[in-house]
Amino acid sequence: MAGRVAIVEVAQISGGDSKDNYYDQAYLVTKEVLAKAGVTKDEVGAVVSSASDIFHGGISCASAYYNEAVVAFLKNSSRQDGESLFALVYGVMRILSGHYDTVLVAGLCKGSENPPNDTCTGMFGDPFYLRPIGMNETVAASYQMRLYMERYGITEEQCAKVAVKNLHNALRNPYAHRKGRYTVDDILNSGRIIDPLTTLQIAPKSEGFVAMLLASEEKAAKLTGKPVWFKGYGSSLDTFHFGDRDLLQGQLKNAAAKAYRMAGLTDPRREIDLAEISEPYAFQELMWYEDLGFCGEGEGGNLIDSGVTRTDGELPVNPSGGVLANNPYVSRGLQRAVEAFLQIRGEAGERQVAKKVKTALVHGTHGFAGQCHAVAILGSQE
Amino acid sequence: MGRAVAVVGVGQTRHGRRMDVSYPELVREGVMAVFEDTGLTPDDIDGVVSGTMPSMMEGVALTHFYFADAIQAVGKPVLKTETCGSTGMSIAHTAYYWIASGMADVILAVGHEKMNEGDSQATMTTVAEPFYQRPFISGAPGVFSMQSAIWKDRFGLSDEKVREAAAYISKTHHDSAFDNPYAHIKIRTTIEQIVNARIITYPVRLLDVCPNSDGVCAVIFASEEKARKMGRKVAWVKGIGYRGDEYFFGDSDKAEWVSAIEAAKQAYAQAGIKNPRKELDVAEVYNPFTFQEMMLYECFGFAAPGEAPDLVLKGTFARQGELPCDPSGGVLCTNPIGASGLIRVAEAALQVTGKGGAHQVPGARLALAHAMGGVAQFNGVMILGSEL
Repeated sequence: MAGRVAIVEVAQISGGDSKDNYYDQAYLVTKEVLAKAGVTKDEVGAVVSSASDIFHGGISCASAYYNEAVVAFLKNSSRQDGESLFALVYGVMRILSGHYDTVLVAGLCKGSENPPNDTCTGMFGDPFYLRPIGMNETVAASYQMRLYMERYGITEEQCAKVAVKNLHNALRNPYAHRKGRYTVDDILNSGRIIDPLTTLQIAPKSEGFVAMLLASEEKAAKLTGKPVWFKGYGSSLDTFHFGDRDLLQGQLKNAAAKAYRMAGLTDPRREIDLAEISEPYAFQELMWYEDLGFCGEGEGGNLIDSGVTRTDGELPVNPSGGVLANNPYVSRGLQRAVEAFLQIRGEAGERQVAKKVKTALVHGTHGFAGQCHAVAILGSQE
Repeated sequence: MGRAVAVVGVGQTRHGRRMDVSYPELVREGVMAVFEDTGLTPDDIDGVVSGTMPSMMEGVALTHFYFADAIQAVGKPVLKTETCGSTGMSIAHTAYYWIASGMADVILAVGHEKMNEGDSQATMTTVAEPFYQRPFISGAPGVFSMQSAIWKDRFGLSDEKVREAAAYISKTHHDSAFDNPYAHIKIRTTIEQIVNARIITYPVRLLDVCPNSDGVCAVIFASEEKARKMGRKVAWVKGIGYRGDEYFFGDSDKAEWVSAIEAAKQAYAQAGIKNPRKELDVAEVYNPFTFQEMMLYECFGFAAPGEAPDLVLKGTFARQGELPCDPSGGVLCTNPIGASGLIRVAEAALQVTGKGGAHQVPGARLALAHAMGGVAQFNGVMILGSEL
């Protein structure tokens, strides 16, 4: 890999329901990131966006719809489906290829115009086996949670603690959709959706328009005094059929290992200062701790108990409130990258963590019980 | 710019109405074909790019999940590239950038569609937003027939001449499809049948329009080092270009279609092509509609604006002509949409490596592949050559 890629600026719009329409939100977030970077739309080399037709308000071919709103008119553009971190890494590739020195990366999802998330995720199922039994992401997660608790003796209280922490963190995040001061009991008594999952342990359906300007090293030097560097990426896909998978031995370890190798990290637990991870279901944050190497197998419950992952802890995880606080399905991965960027730059406002953040981990997942994972490492250091 | 990238092998399914297989089985058939062609195995692949039309087409969303096994992506990084009709070309571009960036050496690109599982025109109607465009833009023929009419009007072309030239294109492509073992529609037809075929959307008649096909195309891209090690003829990526117009049909000039013109210009500049009609040996133009194909010839500099029908009737773009276009029979005879753009790349690669079989253009060394999509918005181009 020759050369390096920096994130120059970021912008985000999020929340539960906006008065602005899709076009306005797509345009405003794009305009904001370009204004912050001091770049005109004509100076943007290429545009890589992410959106999914199934999460796009009933309009197919998402990028056809918002093409000019993300300044892609008469530019070389492309779109990634499902996971917005795919768009981040594709943007990085375009710069590393030497073809472009700036790329606008966008993640777009207007939850308020979509049906319930699981009406959409149910469409991931094949028509023969999974569709007829009503499989969707929440059903899949309930299997995974039960298995996780049984195999490792993790308690429902430990799972609920993730929601307590993240929804509390979200109080300091003006971009969060759902937030509040809850107790473990509040979380456990918030109403069972699918046993053992309760309402507050399941991510909401949110809006999320995220834009990011990437630049080559040379270009970044002209645009910002505080570049945040793209340092590594890994992603991995699991097999489709449920019966073929061990739901507790997924692909996140593999994705993380690739990202750590690329970023040159050998002791991620110590080298990573902060993590923004995708936990559409509270217990998954504990599982992902283990797969990311933040603790040993089956020790996710102990880690949350220890307070290490609190905002004031040694390794803050989801100081933004994470996906439990704001869940624009497709753009949630890129939203994690935006939050990591802000923490690295020290610009996260009230949610800025106490410790200095040099290296941050960003994670996205989509699919039944985490069928696909993507991990990116960002950092302030060259 | 970047590292050199080559197409080292291609695979296609037999395209058509494939009710003999399920959708994942069809995908697997296409993917296995490229492994057979290259002698590579899934272990040699660093990452997979896949893509298709909107989920409404077959009723399964985010198909990289369902096809994880069929595309041999388990345990690997994937990218899921979708840009409507130009998806197949955008998949090829993604594979190119992945390798050119240095982040991978060998990438499998897979485009797939099984259109007989659903209602393609209903699906494409949902590309238009519900307030202004959807009430009158129904499916692809609506959009592209309007575009043909705008073009004809702009250059004062007579209905008769354009009709005659379109029929010539239809006849030659339908004949060519017999030389392509993977083509879907194989019918012997006459000019008389073509001009009298049932109207779909004026001026488009049944034999001016592509079919609904089930089909998959898989292409393996590799870095220069890996490609040379394989010791076989490969097709080098010489240039790539892509442009997108505004969404609302009335906002952009569709007769001198700027996104097509600019996409080709970008690719030509990279490939050092100044006179495309002379320098290119063959072109695979994405041609679901005969009328639109002529307009695209002009956008790509194969003909001056308004000149395409005359050149078509002179045989300039026929198999023995100066610049043979769509010797495979093109999209007109085979259109599994998510695969169609990638099939253009595969066909261009076959031509410049001399593997075109019965539809080989003798001595082809430089080829253009193209795809388009959106509400007449997107155009993507890739130039492939036999020499780096």
